[in-house]
Amino acid sequence: MARMGMVFDLKRCIGCNACVIGCKQENSLPDGVFFTKTLSEDYGVYPSVKRVYIPTLCNHCEDAPCEKVCPSGATYTRDDGIVMVDGEKCIGCGSCAVACPYDQRSQVSKEMLDRGLFGEGQLTDFEKQGYDRFTPGTVIKCDFCSNRVDAGLDPACVVTCPTNARIFGDFDDPDSKPNRVMRERGGGQAPLAEKNTKPKVYYIS
Amino acid sequence: MSNTDAPLVGDSFKLGYRFQNFWDVPMATAFFFGELGAGTFLISMYFDFIAGMILGLISTGVGKPFFHLTHMGVPAKSWRAVLRPDRSWISRGLISIMVFVPFGMLVVLDQAFGWSGGAFLGKLVMFVTVAAALVVMTYQGFAMSHSSSISLWNTGLMPVSSMAYALLSGSAVTLLLASVLGGLADADLVMLQKIFLGLLVVTLAILLSLLHAAYHGTRGGQQSVTLLIKESFSLPFHGLVFGAGIVLPLIALWFGGTTLVAVVVAAIGVLIGFFSYRVLIFKAGVYEPQISFAARLGLR
Repeated sequence: MARMGMVFDLKRCIGCNACVIGCKQENSLPDGVFFTKTLSEDYGVYPSVKRVYIPTLCNHCEDAPCEKVCPSGATYTRDDGIVMVDGEKCIGCGSCAVACPYDQRSQVSKEMLDRGLFGEGQLTDFEKQGYDRFTPGTVIKCDFCSNRVDAGLDPACVVTCPTNARIFGDFDDPDSKPNRVMRERGGGQAPLAEKNTKPKVYYIS
Repeated sequence: MSNTDAPLVGDSFKLGYRFQNFWDVPMATAFFFGELGAGTFLISMYFDFIAGMILGLISTGVGKPFFHLTHMGVPAKSWRAVLRPDRSWISRGLISIMVFVPFGMLVVLDQAFGWSGGAFLGKLVMFVTVAAALVVMTYQGFAMSHSSSISLWNTGLMPVSSMAYALLSGSAVTLLLASVLGGLADADLVMLQKIFLGLLVVTLAILLSLLHAAYHGTRGGQQSVTLLIKESFSLPFHGLVFGAGIVLPLIALWFGGTTLVAVVVAAIGVLIGFFSYRVLIFKAGVYEPQISFAARLGLR
């Protein structure tokens, strides 16, 4: 049994958003939908002000609140721990979206798909091939590029990152990259740990 | 410049509080009709007031599903919402509505024509109806309170407030209907007015407790309560939820008794206040910031 997850090295992230673009391209995401975001946080007092970049995506929680509240059984967890949404079963009620503490779900609408990335109603060939995978009205989210994982590849955001700030692997394997990095760096911090969702995404700094 | 607290950041790529925008007016309207209908049915049933019971069933059986379907992303597959009663309050609620409406009709027919003749079957149908109505009145609150993401909602007071508003609006509609259509004895009207007054006070206490608990719970809750009582939503929250929904009905019923004008003012005020509460509680729901690097370093 695997437990796929990710570690973000905040010291390495430079906020270039290449991961965001890589994700949008891999998943053909419509305008306004992001499976990953690199948030920025400013702190300090002028003139000693600093900015840190905080990559975010679905945390694929072990105790996923989105899965618990889903009334249609559309949200489920694979054997390798990746939390998925079955677009054929989703009814678009939004329960999962309001239950996710990390605001990592998006609802894809027909208008969104018709409008296209350029807002002119004429879809490019890239959009046409990509939008077929979405059912209008349903909720979508990051699935760690499960098709790539199944093929033995890392998620698109991981391979796109130029600074190796994203480390993906199996937390059940003691020798996996994320476990090694966490050991070397003295452990990581899960986001909103007080929500007790057991995220499989950690931050090291 | 000192950045001492995470701001509301909208859809920007900044760390901070974000509004939930998945549940909005259609969902709030569906919740409103569901709770109003179940509350009206129960209060009217207590007084054997058939017109109120019928209106309650229509509100829950027609108004609520209509607005739920308006909200749904894939309305044609909405039937799937019944599939997970083991874990989802949405599923439990939908099943309760499917029980409440037909069984409620049987209770109405029993009250009108006495088909059961007071036998066990009639009592069983009434028991099932009351149980289903209680779930319909509260499940929306449970569904919200199970969203740990939004601190304003994540409280056991949410289902309690659902029940209080359901009974309050139910007593308002029943009193209004009975005052306009007749059908209740004067003593019953006076008793209903007293129940109405009592529920106003109870609802006010629950509202204040809910705001207090959220404000002193987490920073996200504090942000939501600040939005409701001091910032963006303060005008409709004070004016409609407290003013029209609590204070005005209290004054009208206290000084006007069961006169038609007082009852109309009080009932309409309560319905406006209840609907505004439902909408504003959705609008003021915010997600907490995911992780603060500055907070970890003790800079915030």
